[in-house]
Amino acid sequence: MADNENTVSDVIEDKKYKYGFTTKVDAETFAKGLNEDVIRAISQKKNEPEFMLDFRLKAYRKWLTMKEPAWANVHYSPIDYQNISYFSAPKPKKKLESLDEVDPEVLKTFEKLGIPLDEQKRLANVAVDAVFDSVSVATTHKKKLMEVGVIFCPISEAVQEYPELVEQYLGTVVPVGDNYFAALNSAVFTDGSFVYIPPGTVCPMELSTYFRINTEETGQFERTLIICAEDSYVSYLEGCTAPQFDTNQLHAAVVELVALDNAEIKYSTVQNWYSGDPETGKGGIFNFVTKRGKCQGNKSKISWTQVETGSAITWKYPSCILQGDDSVGEFYSVALTNGIMQADTGTKMIHLGNNTRSSIISKGISADRSSNSYRGQVKVAKNSSNARNYSQCDSMLVGDQCSAHTFPYIEAANSSVQLEHEASTSKISEEQLFYFEQRGISRENAITAVINGFCKEVFKQLPMEFAVEAQKLLTLKLENSVG
Amino acid sequence: MSGSVKEAPGQAESLFLELHKKFIKDTPPSGGLRPLAEAALKRFETLGFPHRKHEMYTFVGTQDLVAQPFTLSGGDPTPDGDFLRSQILPGCEKSVVVLVDGRYRADLSDTSALAGDLAIVHLAEALADSDLQKYFKQVVDEENDVFAALNAAFLTEGVQLALKQKAAPEAPLQILCVSSGSAAGPVLNQPRVLIQVGPLAEVKLITSFCGERPNYFVNATMDILVEEGGQVACSQVQRDALDAWNFCKTRISLASDSRCFSVGAYYGSRLVRHHCDARLKAPGAEFALNAVSVLGGQEQAHQFVRIHHEAPHTTSHQLFKNIVDGKGRTSVDGTVIVCAGAQLTHSDQLINNLMLSDEARVDNKPNLMIFADDVKCTHGATVGQVDPDQMFYLKTRGLSEKTAKELLTKSFAESVIDTVRFPALAAELKRSLLKKLEA
Repeated sequence: MADNENTVSDVIEDKKYKYGFTTKVDAETFAKGLNEDVIRAISQKKNEPEFMLDFRLKAYRKWLTMKEPAWANVHYSPIDYQNISYFSAPKPKKKLESLDEVDPEVLKTFEKLGIPLDEQKRLANVAVDAVFDSVSVATTHKKKLMEVGVIFCPISEAVQEYPELVEQYLGTVVPVGDNYFAALNSAVFTDGSFVYIPPGTVCPMELSTYFRINTEETGQFERTLIICAEDSYVSYLEGCTAPQFDTNQLHAAVVELVALDNAEIKYSTVQNWYSGDPETGKGGIFNFVTKRGKCQGNKSKISWTQVETGSAITWKYPSCILQGDDSVGEFYSVALTNGIMQADTGTKMIHLGNNTRSSIISKGISADRSSNSYRGQVKVAKNSSNARNYSQCDSMLVGDQCSAHTFPYIEAANSSVQLEHEASTSKISEEQLFYFEQRGISRENAITAVINGFCKEVFKQLPMEFAVEAQKLLTLKLENSVG
Repeated sequence: MSGSVKEAPGQAESLFLELHKKFIKDTPPSGGLRPLAEAALKRFETLGFPHRKHEMYTFVGTQDLVAQPFTLSGGDPTPDGDFLRSQILPGCEKSVVVLVDGRYRADLSDTSALAGDLAIVHLAEALADSDLQKYFKQVVDEENDVFAALNAAFLTEGVQLALKQKAAPEAPLQILCVSSGSAAGPVLNQPRVLIQVGPLAEVKLITSFCGERPNYFVNATMDILVEEGGQVACSQVQRDALDAWNFCKTRISLASDSRCFSVGAYYGSRLVRHHCDARLKAPGAEFALNAVSVLGGQEQAHQFVRIHHEAPHTTSHQLFKNIVDGKGRTSVDGTVIVCAGAQLTHSDQLINNLMLSDEARVDNKPNLMIFADDVKCTHGATVGQVDPDQMFYLKTRGLSEKTAKELLTKSFAESVIDTVRFPALAAELKRSLLKKLEA
């Protein structure tokens, strides 16, 4: 509590991120616009096999016939898809000599989040000393992974090295024409991660983009494919708590997970993209992501955990297709919106196999003038017997200008199901705050404690360091909104 | 929330537009109703019939309905006396308003028990009141449900039931909507009732839908306007012919410190949809909506609820219990909207579904849209079966499988029926609605 005391008072002034991403990336960039030639050029540039080009073209042709979805509870001015450059090969950014050259505002934020010094350097693109050289760390890890047969590499590399795996699984969970943004991604994606865990393997470490070399800039159309073979396990971390800036406003990523018999995938995300000017929303990222996991094998399990605190607009529904018998899907989410951010996020649990189970825990916090919606679907197919779901979505409102919405869809077509859904919306309980204050704890700290308690069920699903950082992140984000 | 805006009327719409032309020729709406009907027709054309993915009709398939070659009921058919008597609840013999095929029938109604408290006025005359005119105009302009717009487009025979200030009649008022049906082909009838409850009045209302013969589509609209301090306990009983379509939109407007306690009972038929749109307009307003449906065979019953908390200090409660067997289908799509500034709102909603067969289908969409921070809103939804532990318990006490199941399913539905504030109706529901649960 003691160190929080300082945090609250002196961070207030730097809640607004006053720095921007000014370094122009020196890149070989295609002219703006999208057509089949651009797609052929992307494929050629990346030296892709025939099947990839077919995949991209099929997606593009499908995309042309589709309409941008309008059902989400978000509002933005139309995006001109012809005004985007679809290929930009980044060259290494300029290395800074020491942390002194980094914007002090950035450093302050890092400090508040408790990011270790070496990691701070990596994030700020400072050349790190020999011992902590990120490349060598990554190489060491890569070696360790190779020993047990785990493949973890950029997806563009996987297309070259393991084309048969990519061909077998790419697009099987999120088909090319799944939705407007997924189709666009399938047509033009440039990079992302590829993970393959061989049968009977427990991945010896948590995989994170941190260790992935050569993919610092995955661009706006990221594609991730994770395959967990029989009896294997992997935990994958995406993003980080540090604020991330990008010159691209539209981000349309696709993540596909495949879990075979007895396999388990744990996918954790912390997202803190730039949310734009808190008054006007200018410059914020549109985060339109399609994430879906398929529990293909019996007794497989996929668990999504997300902490969403950034982006001007979030449109994201990490889902589970519970195809194998006795498979399990989980979704844990904290979504925080402030300023004039808009989030429409939730999950889909599609029960197809027998004895499938899913649980959904969603916590939404909206502050200032933001709008936060939970949208979730629980669907039980006719032939899925003994399906079980428990959903809980709670929203907390901070300030009288914000809004919180809940849109659950519950569809049951089998009589042996057991589905439970509950939701609540309220503001921070005055009684709880009074209790804290009565015991000499300041109001700010009391609010922090209550909010962290509210999100506890989700945070405890995160790997430890991530959880600690995520808690601090929430506090930091809410500082000007409460009290 | 997207409305379906169509560029040109489709085939289904054209059928109804043809019907409307005939309607205007045969029974032109009188006086103030005419501009309303015209505006509503425009609204109908703009909205168009729902497509499969229409947000308002996600779970309700209307394709079969709108393709039917409907005719309008002609003449003034008089239902069989015995049939009519059997539909009047005990205790309502002298407080019943009868509508046959959407037309108010003074000759069949008897409101002597409410003399002095109730005024029955033809809607065309009631519209002389400028406030009412304004209300209707707004309602038509803002209509988002195409079937309610359709009802307004055919507005010719509506009736206003006005309960005077401080009226507190002992007898409940039954509004009996009889559809006469026809062997020749499907008939469309569209009752329109406006109920005005004066300040501090206290009334019990029962709206019953029934059909004398099969083959009809009843597309009703009810407006219940409750003034300051008024209290209404209303029940809606849907008991139509098996192959009937029943759509009803109920608009409820609650002034300060007024209350409306509403219970719906649905026997199901080919397609039943109740759209409830309640607006809590001033502090102290309270609204409760409970509903029970017992469905089997091919029966369907759907609920679409929008509750708008427009003022601070308002309360709403909802409880739905649905039992579905056979190939029955039910859905509850309920949204509670707390408008900006409506602080200290309290709202809860619970949907419980009991699924008794693999062919049955249950869909729920309990939504919350909240634009104020000092509120307490909750919702819950469950889908499940008869609890095997409870069955086991009853069987260990010597009850047969059949009796145990009956006992458990009936008690599930009874928790809603017991909230009906009119004993004769509660008894009738227990007798006839719960009979459907007996194997």
